[in-house]
Amino acid sequence: MAISRLERNNLLKGLAFISPWIVGFCVFTLLPISLSLYYSFCNFTLLQGPLYRGTENYQTINADPVFWKSLRVTAYFAIVALPMGMIIALSVAMLLNVKIRGMAIYRTIVYLPSLVPAVASAMLWLWLYNPKLGLINTVLSKLGVTNLPGWVADPDWAMPALVLMSFWGVGNTVIIYLAGLQDVPRELYEAAELDGAGTWAKIRHVTLPFISPVIFFNLIIAIIGSVQSYTTPAIMTPGGGPDRAAYFYTMRLYDQAFVFLKMGEASAMAWVQLFIVLALTGIAFWSSKKWVHYQGK
Amino acid sequence: MSNATNIPRRIVEPKERPPQGAWMARVCLWVICATAIVPFVWMVSTSLKSADQATAYPVKWIPWPVQWHNYVELFESDRFNFLLWTRNTLLVELFTVTGVTISSAVVAYGFAKIKFRGRGVLFALMLSTMMIPFPVTMVAMFSIFRWLGDHTGMQWLGTFKPLCVPAWFGSAFNIFLLRQFFLTIPDELSEAARIDGCSELGIFFRVVLPLSRPALTVVALFAFMGTWNDFLGPQIYLQRPEQFTLALGLQNLQSQHGGTPWHTLMAASTLVIMPVLLLFFIAQKTFIEGIATTGMKG
Amino acid sequence: MKSLKSIVITCLGILAIAVLFFGPRAGSDVPPGRIVIDYWEKWTADEEAQMRLIVNEFNESVGKEKNIFVRYVSTSNVNQKALVATAAGVPPDVAGLWDGNLVQFAELDALEPLEEMAAAHGINSSTYKPVYWNACNYNGHLYALISTPAAVALHYNKKAFAESADALRKADLDPTRAPATIQELDAYAKVLERVDGAGHITRSGYLPMEPGWYVTSTHIWFDGDYWNPTTHKFTFTDPKVVASFAWLQSYSKRLGKDAISEFRSGTGNFDSPQNPFLTGTVVMEQQGPWMANYILNLKPSMSGVKQPYADDVFLPLELRQQHCEWAAAPFPSNEPGKTYVSLCNFDTLVIPKGSKHKQEAFEFIAYVNRQEVMERLCRMHSKNSPLAKVSQDFLTHHKNPYIKVFEDLASSPNARALPQSPILPEVGDEMNNVIQRLVLLRDEPEPALRVLQAQLQEKYDKFAEIQRIRREKAAAENKQLVEK
Repeated sequence: MAISRLERNNLLKGLAFISPWIVGFCVFTLLPISLSLYYSFCNFTLLQGPLYRGTENYQTINADPVFWKSLRVTAYFAIVALPMGMIIALSVAMLLNVKIRGMAIYRTIVYLPSLVPAVASAMLWLWLYNPKLGLINTVLSKLGVTNLPGWVADPDWAMPALVLMSFWGVGNTVIIYLAGLQDVPRELYEAAELDGAGTWAKIRHVTLPFISPVIFFNLIIAIIGSVQSYTTPAIMTPGGGPDRAAYFYTMRLYDQAFVFLKMGEASAMAWVQLFIVLALTGIAFWSSKKWVHYQGK
Repeated sequence: MSNATNIPRRIVEPKERPPQGAWMARVCLWVICATAIVPFVWMVSTSLKSADQATAYPVKWIPWPVQWHNYVELFESDRFNFLLWTRNTLLVELFTVTGVTISSAVVAYGFAKIKFRGRGVLFALMLSTMMIPFPVTMVAMFSIFRWLGDHTGMQWLGTFKPLCVPAWFGSAFNIFLLRQFFLTIPDELSEAARIDGCSELGIFFRVVLPLSRPALTVVALFAFMGTWNDFLGPQIYLQRPEQFTLALGLQNLQSQHGGTPWHTLMAASTLVIMPVLLLFFIAQKTFIEGIATTGMKG
Repeated sequence: MKSLKSIVITCLGILAIAVLFFGPRAGSDVPPGRIVIDYWEKWTADEEAQMRLIVNEFNESVGKEKNIFVRYVSTSNVNQKALVATAAGVPPDVAGLWDGNLVQFAELDALEPLEEMAAAHGINSSTYKPVYWNACNYNGHLYALISTPAAVALHYNKKAFAESADALRKADLDPTRAPATIQELDAYAKVLERVDGAGHITRSGYLPMEPGWYVTSTHIWFDGDYWNPTTHKFTFTDPKVVASFAWLQSYSKRLGKDAISEFRSGTGNFDSPQNPFLTGTVVMEQQGPWMANYILNLKPSMSGVKQPYADDVFLPLELRQQHCEWAAAPFPSNEPGKTYVSLCNFDTLVIPKGSKHKQEAFEFIAYVNRQEVMERLCRMHSKNSPLAKVSQDFLTHHKNPYIKVFEDLASSPNARALPQSPILPEVGDEMNNVIQRLVLLRDEPEPALRVLQAQLQEKYDKFAEIQRIRREKAAAENKQLVEK
């Protein structure tokens, strides 16, 4: 295939401009990923060099009940917190879209929590969730609740505590939804009202389909985020919490790597995680054909 | 928008809603805002209490007497070296923010304004790297940096380099953001400059960049926030307590054998959050618009 | 509005620049020309201040002589941070690890052997009490020396005993002494605890999980062992070990797991006046010798002293013990005939591999181990001494009126240290999980321990196998090099 002079010029120019990314990709992405794949087949303590062991690491983690526990914990979080978080974010965004005075202040306040560094917010909520001295249980007991939950100290309440807390930081998602909502043309709503549609029907038939690309975008981000959850649970339930009730996948991975110095197993876990993310986003993309309507731009 | 049916404008301003709806929305918003704000208030309240008051039961809202010295102590504390860690964080910020902004702009320009073979494939590849979970590269990067330290005489681990250097090679998220923005700059402007004899680099610097100030500000802001809040990166790469960044240093206040000093911890948290909040209030509009743009054309 | 924004931005900008250029830099406090020794230590608050005194003394004396400057760095999670730093090739010169990590580090070749430097300073096996010396050695090498040791004992509230004297006597128990066997401990606990009508525990006589710092060593008092260092086999299914776990669970079965959870989450912080032992909410607990310090600082009335208590240590020992509302005694043993059983753990001083100033680092370690310095540090921390030689002054004028109990425990033939297993952190992690499950009544001791043993044995065997392969490879490579 002959390549014209102009094309060749453009190719060179283009590659030149994106060269920083290409170099970075090779050194900081491709190289580590390949190394990590190699390590996943080795025993590697970092204090001692890698020793090839075949598929031993994968077999070990497959037989390790703690590995499966951490998968279950992460899956629970993804399945419960993700959809609820998106619904809550969308609802809040719709509320913020109502034309009332002082909306800018409301929006600011709603966004504030997502500015906070994860470490700080985890510590704050750890304090809020304190079974005896925390604000939450204090309020609950004033409301007359007798059996106060132990929150992160209780294996049955640790995950619900983390799920609830994740809703505090939906600000980011809300803003994205808000932008999407403001793009919905007024005329569509008016047309629907003419047809006699109530609020719920308007949402179902006008709002949701129109902002489906935004929902899709947020979904992908949320999937990637929840599979990788680390900082918040690491601070709130270090060691996984009581009976490992909140032992997230990445926490287990980190412990294997940097506490027990089993970098080989940690790398195997990382590759499993990669496949899970790819599979989930793959499913999301495939299903998007059915429910995402792009407004051809 | 062009396929919406043309409806005659109503006489009543669509803004006026029946009072009932607005009232309900307002109540919901108040509840939501309360949930958002109360933890902050509680944090500041705890930070101004003495150790006894913080752990007293039943809990009090208003700290009295107000213990301003909790904050003063933090500045002198050995356990939470606020000034040193702020300096560390700012140092890292300086390098990462400039690195990310410059490199992402350059790469985004290539993807947006130069039509070259394989551009689509490479762009898709770049986007897909956003899906790679950090742990996959974490261990290997640690090992690579260790190897570099052993074999090149230049230490990487235990310095700021692992945090700063990768920023200069573009960040997929910011490249995406800027590329979308650059696409909205009309090609005619670049064409005109090209006819005038401008090189591609020249067009980049003299035509596109000046028009991109808002987008670049957004990128810089996001990069600043990301670095300020980053925990896992510093946790892995920074070994010596005197190098800690603020986010990492906050964890140093947690105690292993029970007895976390909540009042001190909350004071430290307040200090760590303040700069970001201030920045947000100043650049609010830019922030919100920036986030909004990321969701568009997803 | 806009100008306000610009003012704020400018101010922030100026502040940021000021901090960047004029802010503190690391290492700015070192006198020039000295070799800097980074010492990472876990202690905070008072204990940190006391160690800093010793560090400053060293810097002024031996440090000045030999051109060394020790920099104390307070580090949380010190063992993990030191491990990663050593793996990263940038370790501290001296680290204050928990003894539980010693063998793991040593086995992974992360520590410098110290026996030569120790011998040069006159430190050998006769310097320490046997239990401590043996624990610092592994595979024929000395890997650590001690900063401060401990011995675990039963602390009990004499006042509460006296108040319940009648009830105790009715149950055939002596209110003037501590329980001597596990059964007696349970009996005392039952009499002394208070449970209200709804099943909430308002006062605990004894709860294994409160504070529960040593639950993974409970088997020691049941004369059991879970690791056989000669056969390299885990022995969790040994009946004595199973008995110890069953005993841990017995309290949950008797009082209810929810009652215990609720009680535990409501107890105050250890380092505060709301410490449950100080408030009388817990009558007996398993603690180390430093407890005396915390009581002296947070509730001096319980120690029977008036602030400042500097002069109190010169009173006769019996008088001090009489005034004291609490006492320490050997923790009861379940094995008839075995008394003065205790877990003797310690805070270590190690030199990680890769430290660039080993000799200088050891100078500091040797200084801390001089009898005079060590006794001073241990008196400040209110701990016993690891040294075989103990001065009379130490015993009679120590802050802790019951220090002799701890000294006797540490010198006893039944003193035990942690098992020398190279995968001890993983063992501890899994054991803690099993104990949590038992206490939450989610599992039974026998099956849980059987599973635990199988799991850990597999982990260990794999670890040992890989170590063996590595050693063979290294030996083969060495042979090749030599032959060349």
